[in-house]
Amino acid sequence: MSQRVESPRLRLGVLGIVVIALFVPLFARLWYLQVLSSESFTEAAEANRIRVVQVEAPRGRILDRDGTVLVDNRVSIVVTVDRVRFAELEDADRTAMLERLAAELSRYGSPATVEQLQDRVDDVRYSRYAPVPVAEDATEELKIYIEEHQELFPSVAVERVAVRRYPYGTRAAHVIGSVGEINDEELEERANKPKTYIRGNQIGKTGVERIYEDDLRGMPGQTVFEVDAMGDPVRILEDLSTPPIPGDDVWLTIDIETQALSEDLLAQALEDARNRRVSGDNLPNRGNAGSVVVTDPRNGEVLAMASYPVFDPADFVNGISSTRWEFLNSDEADKPILNRAIQGVYAPGSTYKLFTGLAAMVHGLRTPDQPFLDQGTFTIEDCRGPGCTFRNAGSKAYGTVDMRRAMTVSSDAYFYSIGADFWNNRGRLGDEAQQETIRTFGFGQETGVPLPSEQDGRVPTPQQRKAQYEANPELFLTGDWFTGDNVIMTIGQGDVGVTPLQLANGYATFANGGTRYAPNIARKITRSGSPDTIKRSFEPRINGRVEMDPVHRQALLDGLIGVTTRDGGTARATFAGFPNDTFPVAGKTGTAEVDGKADTALFAAFGPAPAPEFQVAIVLEESGFGGTAAAPVARALFDVFAGVAPMPVIQPGGALVEPPLEGAEVDDTAERPADRLGQIAEGGAD
Amino acid sequence: MESFAGRWPGTTRAGSMRRNPAAPWRHVDLLLLASVGLIALIGTLMVFSSTRGTGSAPTNTAILERHLAFVATGITVMALTTMADYRRFRDWAPLLYGAVCLLLLGVVSPFGTEVNGAQAWFQIGPVQVQPSEFSKIAVIIGLASLGAHFGSDIDLRRLAILLAVPGIPLALIMLQPDPGTAMVFVAITMGMLLVTGVRAKHIAGLTLVGLTAVVGLLSSGLLADYQKDRLTVFLNPAAGLQAEAYNLNQSKIAIGSGGVLGKGLFNGTQTQLDIVPEQHTDFIFTAVGEELGFLGAATLLVLFALVGWRIWRIAQLSRDQFGVLLCVGVLSMLAFQIFQNAGMTMGIMPITGIPLPFVSYGGSSTIALFAGLGLVQGVHMRRFT
Repeated sequence: MSQRVESPRLRLGVLGIVVIALFVPLFARLWYLQVLSSESFTEAAEANRIRVVQVEAPRGRILDRDGTVLVDNRVSIVVTVDRVRFAELEDADRTAMLERLAAELSRYGSPATVEQLQDRVDDVRYSRYAPVPVAEDATEELKIYIEEHQELFPSVAVERVAVRRYPYGTRAAHVIGSVGEINDEELEERANKPKTYIRGNQIGKTGVERIYEDDLRGMPGQTVFEVDAMGDPVRILEDLSTPPIPGDDVWLTIDIETQALSEDLLAQALEDARNRRVSGDNLPNRGNAGSVVVTDPRNGEVLAMASYPVFDPADFVNGISSTRWEFLNSDEADKPILNRAIQGVYAPGSTYKLFTGLAAMVHGLRTPDQPFLDQGTFTIEDCRGPGCTFRNAGSKAYGTVDMRRAMTVSSDAYFYSIGADFWNNRGRLGDEAQQETIRTFGFGQETGVPLPSEQDGRVPTPQQRKAQYEANPELFLTGDWFTGDNVIMTIGQGDVGVTPLQLANGYATFANGGTRYAPNIARKITRSGSPDTIKRSFEPRINGRVEMDPVHRQALLDGLIGVTTRDGGTARATFAGFPNDTFPVAGKTGTAEVDGKADTALFAAFGPAPAPEFQVAIVLEESGFGGTAAAPVARALFDVFAGVAPMPVIQPGGALVEPPLEGAEVDDTAERPADRLGQIAEGGAD
Repeated sequence: MESFAGRWPGTTRAGSMRRNPAAPWRHVDLLLLASVGLIALIGTLMVFSSTRGTGSAPTNTAILERHLAFVATGITVMALTTMADYRRFRDWAPLLYGAVCLLLLGVVSPFGTEVNGAQAWFQIGPVQVQPSEFSKIAVIIGLASLGAHFGSDIDLRRLAILLAVPGIPLALIMLQPDPGTAMVFVAITMGMLLVTGVRAKHIAGLTLVGLTAVVGLLSSGLLADYQKDRLTVFLNPAAGLQAEAYNLNQSKIAIGSGGVLGKGLFNGTQTQLDIVPEQHTDFIFTAVGEELGFLGAATLLVLFALVGWRIWRIAQLSRDQFGVLLCVGVLSMLAFQIFQNAGMTMGIMPITGIPLPFVSYGGSSTIALFAGLGLVQGVHMRRFT
């Protein structure tokens, strides 16, 4: 004890306080982290722990109205290269690996060169982080080979992916549309959809695939992995993972046989037009493009919608090449990608007379029986000069005609006079009396068919003309509206523009007594795998009603029936031998002039009158007379609708077992309808 | 061993050694021993938990086995240290001090091995030895020895001599460089100078010099960028120090997500999935926080506090100044390392490579710490002899 040095107690005390001062913030901080803010850290830890991998669900199928499968899915074996891992390889290893891969791809039936593979890997259009597909539709043998020699192919993976399959080839391609990889814009638009999208997902780009995307797209599944700090999967968390749910099936209003028949008739009619010799100074028919639309006038359902030229939706599977895409959009190929039924805008020619004729009666300018002396020409009153006189096609004079007869023979002079009268009475009727009636049939506005990029067409008015001129004076000769503008409008010329579907829908509105439907392209949507579970069904949608005086309507109907049945009817020869008594077809031909091109041939028809079930509209670009070129298509269709010819049967691949034009010959043994119409004089638009 | 007979009044020569109430083995601080034992047990469990492997991989016990070997060696060293009379270390102080200085010199020479940017290790077969850990103990002994010799009258000359003791190894450690261990040296020195008779104004002056030195160090070229980043990231976790901010963030997530009760041993996702780096060594406190929760982590801190209190108490009970200073040195070392290490994982202290005493995996550190504890225990055991 004696040696014991006195402890410097004060100084030890200070040290003790310092030590306590070090421990206090540790406890405080621990309390803050683990008790006060534990919740947010718990969430962060959970997010750390798991990685969610989206599993794409198969898209729903697209069926025709009777359940024939038009689009479903098949498995494609795709070889991909992971660019991140590929970039990590040594230069020499990269080259050697691509050489091996090219050799094996070629050996197993997917020919490829090192350059092609390198181009794909370097392609900037693919996301940097998603594996780049370097070969699609590879063989099962190749898959096995690569998987068994994975060490030779670092960064290469072989996957099975579901891709679109088109059992009937190009049939209804424009209606069905295409799918493709989602782009940044679409990704952003759909950020909050319950069916989540990620880069690389497929999305409907056009047609029904696009419009019913939300139904067709399946609910992606989730595989939830627990991962370590390196992001390497440790195990799958089954209770958090969900399986993908296939998308729903869309049943179209389209009848695939009617569709295929329409397509074949369209192609045949265009070919016939190309082969037809034209008289005199007429331009040769290119017969390059056209459209056929068949609807049900009772409810607005689209039964067939054909557009020519066609494209193959299978080109889009696995991604379309840029050269193919450019081709489909090129003028040289007449833009096969266009759905001309809703995107082609055409002068309607004489098919317009139904509406201008009705306008004349509605506004009291004509009565059905009011006679008119057609001398082959019409001259505007108090007007001098060559621009004041308008001629019938071929300057043919039809003599005394009334509304019925003028419609049947397609007297231009009769309608010219209507146009002039509208203008002369504009003080009483207003500038746009004619246009008002026309618009009630849906012209100048979208029909509302559920298909993307529909055009609204044109119903020109004096006001529009003025506004256009004032906006761009250098583009137009004048901003004024003349009597002549009214005159040629009555025969569907001038600035008038309609889509084939608008034309069909306008006629259908007349045909059913005045109900203007928004055409439907789909009937119902059913749950995947259970066709009886209806998720949605599409009822007829009424866009408007036209009140027609029964007397007016009857006169016009008589005139239209005359077109196919009476002497002088512009499509009478085409409908020779048709059972008019049991299945009266009311129709109107049109031959529209186009600057610098051969005439557009049109025909709009419905039957059986007076309670029609079928509405047909045909538009053939650069194909000559409507009665000659277009009406035979309607004849062949109505032969089938009337039960005169059997409905052909579609084969896998899309071929019809009976050549469609032969079907039309069943009761017309001598000639094909298109040929028989060569001699028919068409009171076309001039 | 010395003979204890006759040193205690009232003890007769005829008395049996076994009956001698002053016998050192009768005065083992059991609470200190038990606390450290519990801490080492928690440490062993957490080392195993953070290194046993993830998912379906077979359980990895290699690190656990090594850790157990280190702990066993540490306990042996502690026992051996306890057996020797602590006062003899006063005689051995120059020898020990000289030896570690040579080792530190050797480690920055080409004989040393660089790990994580610091040349701080000797690679001897499968074992890595970190001399700086042992140098802490040697410096504590050296300072205690000199401090006891100088007594309470310390002028500037003596202060300079005292400062030279940690100064030489500190300079060598900064050559590695290892700022974390250097900071421990500073803490040890400040604590021990406080308890020796150094005047208050000198202490204040030294603090000022120390702060200037830290600032100077950060702005000098002596530290690698990553070391500066680690030292400053806790002040601004959002700054663009990717790896360091990641460490700190994941560390806080691990501790915070443990909540009050913890996720359970072997159930911490951050721990089991190796999301926090260096988790069995410098960041092991995160495993404690995540798996054992606030209850477990606070218990660990309480155990540490208990250890601190016992050492502080032993310092008070010590029969000589040398013993006092030994305890103060070990206490300063432990307190600073605990504060610095746990504080770093919770984002209130800079990130430095300092192990959590008796918990972190690491042979040199564990053995040196047990040796230090042995010294303290020796002071307690021999307070009557």
